[in-house]
Order: sequence, then structure tokens, then C-alpha cells
Amino acid sequence: MFAEVLFIAFAALSVLGAMGLILFRHPMKGAMSLIVTMISLAGLYALLSAKLIFVLQLIVYAGAIMSLILFIIMFLNIQDNDLPVEEGRFLYLAGGIAVIIPIASFLIKIVNGLPDSQVTIVGNGFGGVKEVGLILFQDWLLPFEIVSLLLLVALIGAVVLAGKRRLVK
Amino acid sequence: MSLLDIFMIAIRVAFSAFVPLCFIAVCVWMERRGAGFFQDRSGPNRAAIFGFRAAGLVQNAADGIKLFFKEDLISDHIKHKFFFVLAPIIVFFCAVMSFAVVPFADTLVLGGNSYVMQGIPMDVGILWFLAIAGFSVYGIILAGWSSTNKYGILGGLRSAAQVISYEIPMGLSLVSLLIVYGTVNLSEMAQFQGQLLFGFIPMWGAVLQPLGLIIFVIAAFAECNRTPFDLAEGESEIVAGFHVEYSAMKFAVFFMGEYVAMFASSAIIITLFFGGYQIPFLNTQALIHLAKPVAFLLMIGLPVVMYYFAGWIRRSNVSHYERENDPRVFEANVYIKCFWGLIAIIELLLLAILLMQSGGAATHIFVALLQICTFLVKVTMMIFVYIWVRWTLPRFRYDQLQKLGWQMLLPLALLNIFITSAVVVALG
Repeated sequence: MFAEVLFIAFAALSVLGAMGLILFRHPMKGAMSLIVTMISLAGLYALLSAKLIFVLQLIVYAGAIMSLILFIIMFLNIQDNDLPVEEGRFLYLAGGIAVIIPIASFLIKIVNGLPDSQVTIVGNGFGGVKEVGLILFQDWLLPFEIVSLLLLVALIGAVVLAGKRRLVK
Repeated sequence: MSLLDIFMIAIRVAFSAFVPLCFIAVCVWMERRGAGFFQDRSGPNRAAIFGFRAAGLVQNAADGIKLFFKEDLISDHIKHKFFFVLAPIIVFFCAVMSFAVVPFADTLVLGGNSYVMQGIPMDVGILWFLAIAGFSVYGIILAGWSSTNKYGILGGLRSAAQVISYEIPMGLSLVSLLIVYGTVNLSEMAQFQGQLLFGFIPMWGAVLQPLGLIIFVIAAFAECNRTPFDLAEGESEIVAGFHVEYSAMKFAVFFMGEYVAMFASSAIIITLFFGGYQIPFLNTQALIHLAKPVAFLLMIGLPVVMYYFAGWIRRSNVSHYERENDPRVFEANVYIKCFWGLIAIIELLLLAILLMQSGGAATHIFVALLQICTFLVKVTMMIFVYIWVRWTLPRFRYDQLQKLGWQMLLPLALLNIFITSAVVVALG
């Protein structure tokens, strides 16, 4: 019961945050609504007893990445007359909702049509740091290493790009 | 859920919410008197209620009342008033929340049930602290940005860059610590530190990870925006930085948030590196076993300590010139009587412990109280270190700050991870 109330609250907040992101004119307001979405997504992960993902979402997405985005917005020093005029945005929103409604109702129908299954909290530390780590480093070691190589490539690429611009100057 | 369960939940939530708030007063007092001590002056000691100055604690109340009744104004040039008001709330809320996972006593066993003594019983522990500490930078960014003030923007930018770059060495120094402890749960970490190394050294994080301790403490100072890392405020360069436009209670909330953050990060440093609530050489089992001897020793020791403390009060609380019927001597006598009354109450409680059956609920509660006192004493000592550093070191220049973070702390933290994992693997 308590978990259901929390679920509805987090789901509503995440949708509202996403709407705020596209509807607010000022980028700072948009970024703040995105933070709301990120935090409520973390809450949804916590309800799924995925504790590690919950904290990672908070640290990485809601914490580090969003503060970098705010940092950039602050750097740009955007004034009100720099912003584009978006008069038809509520019209676009209404159009988008009209398009989505049939798909959403179809999805709800599918979910309702699923066979009933017991919904219980998975025990034995499911989703904890230790359990995820063991699975990651035992069963999924190779994919994990490949992903980290990919990140390394991105990192070096960022350093090279940042260095190149300085050479041109 | 029995009545006891609900009571214990209320106790632990109240503790982790109100103790940081009470420590604001203690921190501010320590900061001012400490500043006076380091600069060879008295510090604030004149504000008094009916002649009672409480060693300068009354000054805090005076300042609180002053800030509360000041005009709370928002200048006209501030367009985003919502963010302007939201910013101090974020800073304060994040500071209080980050203390919530710190255990302040070992798991209390009462009538077959065990109660975790931390505000939010969460087993992600230190990761929660990292997440919430990262959030508090939003408050500073928003405050700087919504002030629509060049000093404010500069302060916010500096603070954001600083927190982002110091979170990396902080996280990396934690990694080597996690390798040693094998857990992220702060309760388990504190229990681990109750063991003894070679049978006679307490197995504290400071002993096992001295390099990690140094890196973590430096990063924690930077995370709290305390001198030598208070470039976000930098009153000699950018006036007051991010809170230059704030007045009255909104400024006070920033101010209190800074001290709560200092308390929370001291508590985290204590829990990670200095054994948390553990009394050295006496872990929880030993304490429960030896409750009566410990209570007896305390009964003898407390009056002796109090005797010398009373002498100190009497010596330091006199007027510096000849006065008839010196009011300060009268004041000192009242304080000494109050403290002796407190000691008498504690002695009676200890006597009750001595007379009770050992191993019962009373013993467990006694042990928990002892551990809470140990925890608070350790945290107070760590806060003193913060104040000590603040009034000793000058502020860094901005490029020095970034150089220290990226070129010194980051490679050291990485080196520490390699050494630690090599040693842990070698020891099996």
C-alpha cells in the first residue's frame, strides 16, 4: 500500500519533470525539472529494490552530470532576449499527447492482459552492491571490460578534442 | 510493530535530525572561541542573560535573534525568485540528510529484537553520503546564478568546479577503504573497526589507510567549502560569493547549512577512519561483558575530572581587575554547582547500573549510551580540527586548488588503490 503510493508519486513527478523540461522556456528551469525527473527515477529504482542502481542514479545522473549541465548553463549567461520565441509549444504538446494516447492505451491493455504473477520483494540482498558486483565480475566479465574500453576511448577522444582546439589558437 | 519498535524508530530519527541542529550552536561557539584562541584574543564573551554568559554561548542566541528579526528582502533585479529562495533550503536539507546514514551506536539488542542505530537504516551507506553531498552543490549554483550578480556567479562557478573536481579523489580514496573493509555499509565498517590489529592496535581506518585518510580529509574540507578551500565565498576577492545577495534568515539558513555539513562530514570521517562509535580496545561484546567495571571506573573518574574542571572554571572566570563582589566569581560558582548537580545525577544512574543484573536490557542501553557519548566526543574533536585548519591556513589560489586536486590527490588516490589491492590480495 505504502509502496503503491510512493510509486504513483514518483511516477507522476518524473512525468511532470519531463514535461517541465520541454515546456519551460528558460534552460535553467528545464535543467531543474530534469533533476526532478532523475531523482524520481532513482526512487522508482529503489522501489524495485535495485539499491545499487538507485545510488548510482543519484550520484552519476542526478549529481555529477546534471551539475555539469547547470555549470554550462551558468557559463553561457543566457538573457531573456536570447531565448527563441516558442508560441506554438502548447499546441505541439496537445498534438503529441493526441498521438501518444492510442499507443499508451494499447500498452496498458497489454500489461493488463499479462498473466497474473505474484509480486514480492526479491530477498537475499538482491540488487545490493555485493550481489551486483559478483554477477558483474563473474558472469558478465567480458562485456563489462568491453564497455569500460568503450568509455576509455570516449575519454581519450574528449582529451584529444579539447587539446586540439588549444593548438589552433 | 510493537510500541517499543515505534519508540526506537522515533528515537533514532530524532537523534539524526536534531543532534546536527544542536551541534550548529556548539560549532559556531567553537569556531568563534577557537578563532579567538588561535589569534590570541578572547572571542565573543560579553553577551549575557542576567549576567550569565555561558562562556560565550549566549552570543549565539543573540545572533540568532538578530538574524530572525532582520528585514528579509529580495532585491528587484532578482528575476528567478523561486530558485533564489530554494537555494538555501537545498543546502540545508542536503546537509541534514547526509548525516542520516551515520551509525551513532552499535545495533541495540532489546528483548530479542535488534535495532539499528542510524537515521535511515540503509545498507548503501557511504554511497548515500556521496550522492547527497553532490546535491548540495545545486544549492550553491542556484544561489550564485539566481542572485544575478557578478560576484554571485563567480562564487557559484568556483564552487561547482571545485566540488566536481574534489569528488573524484574523494571517491577514489573511498575505493581503497572499501577494499579493506569489504563493505559499503557504515554499520559494518564501524563493527570492523572494533577489532584489534596484532592484538593491541585498534583496527581503525586511520591505521590501515593513512594515505586514504589524508586524501579523504582534504577532499571533505573542499566539499564543505571550508578554508583553505572557501573560494566560493572568498570575501577578500568576491565579497561573499554565492550568498552576497542574501539577508536575514535566508543567509542564516546558508550559515547553518555550512555547519551542519561540517558536522556531517566530521561524523563520516570518524565513522570511516576513527572507529565510529567504538571505544578503543573495548568493542561492543567486551563492553557488555565489562559493563559493571566500566561503570565503577566512571563513578570514580567523573568526580576527579569534575574537580579539576571546576578549578579551571574558577580560575578562568574572574575579572581581570580588582572588583568588589566580583559578579564573575558568583557566575562561576553557579556554573560549578550546576555541573556538580549533573555529575550527581550521572553517578546515581551509574549506581543503578551497578546494582542491576548484568547482561540485561539496562546493560545494553548503558553500552549504547556510552557509545553515543564516544561518538559525539570524537565528532567534536574532528570539528575542532576543521576549526584549527580554518584559522591556521590561508586560502588557496584558484589554480593551486585545481592543481592540488588533479595533479596531487588524484594520482595519489590511484596509487593508494593499487597498493591496497596488492596488499589485500597478498594477505589472501
